[in-house]
Amino acid sequence: MFKKIIEKSFEKSPWLFHINAGSCNACDIEFVATLTPRYDAERFGFKLTGTPRHADIIVVSGPVTEQSKDRVIRTIAQVPNPKVIVALGSCPASGNIFAGSYSVLHTLDYYVPVDVYVPGCSPKPEAIIDGLYKAVEILKNKRRDNK
Amino acid sequence: MNFPFVKEAVNSLFKKPSTERYPFVKKEAPLGYRGRILFKSDKCIGCGMCIRVCAPGAITKSTKKTDDGEEITMNFFMGRCTFCQMCADFCPRGAIELTNEFSMITEDKSNLNVSGTFIKKLPPKQQAGSQTISKQV
Ligand code: SF4
Ligand code: SF4
Repeated sequence: MFKKIIEKSFEKSPWLFHINAGSCNACDIEFVATLTPRYDAERFGFKLTGTPRHADIIVVSGPVTEQSKDRVIRTIAQVPNPKVIVALGSCPASGNIFAGSYSVLHTLDYYVPVDVYVPGCSPKPEAIIDGLYKAVEILKNKRRDNK
Repeated sequence: MNFPFVKEAVNSLFKKPSTERYPFVKKEAPLGYRGRILFKSDKCIGCGMCIRVCAPGAITKSTKKTDDGEEITMNFFMGRCTFCQMCADFCPRGAIELTNEFSMITEDKSNLNVSGTFIKKLPPKQQAGSQTISKQV
């Protein structure tokens, strides 16, 4: 019984962890705007957490750079399974305008499996809400499969 | 003592929340929003101007020889686009349009490709030693 309640509440309140892998800050601002009262993603139970160990959904923005590569991988490895990785903006998907720079390495899915792409430069808060919605669905399916 | 915000606070008690009820109430992007690209392949002439002005290099062009000319495929990868609209501004034929579709959520990156194919007819081959040359001599 107790376990059921815990499982139910897990699905209703996924915690977010945001990694800036080297983005220009535009996606980060839109992501924060998504959590503000105007768009209020917290209506759906999303909560921004400060530590990867408490997170369910990881939101990565920006291209993976030489500096951030190890840190991104290490941070994502600390997130307990099952986890969902959301690539915010065009940068993690391809490098965008930074592709080909001396400091930008591969796309994000070269290092970690990406579950949801939210393209846009930067995406509208509405698009981010859609992406998070999809992430929750994937998270639910992953939980069911894990059992 | 004076409380400058009391009036505001009391007024706000009776107002509707300013939160947008997005997924339940659909929302239109504002006028002039630059979203997913719409490529009209029947208008394109394959000049390559869009490829030249695209800063991230989101556009690729591939050609294939066929019987009645060249088959040209233009591919716009939305996962690399910055939505600057340079390609649409520079296209001499107006073949590119940035629609107001903002939500392009996908699990698979290959869904982000917008492409179009058309056949460019080659000019008819001239005969060796044709009239134009002989006239000039
Ligand atoms: S889309 Fe426009 S600019 Fe690009 S190749 Fe076609 S005609 Fe030229
Ligand atoms: S909108 Fe800008 S970034 Fe996107 S394909 Fe056109 S020129 Fe390239």
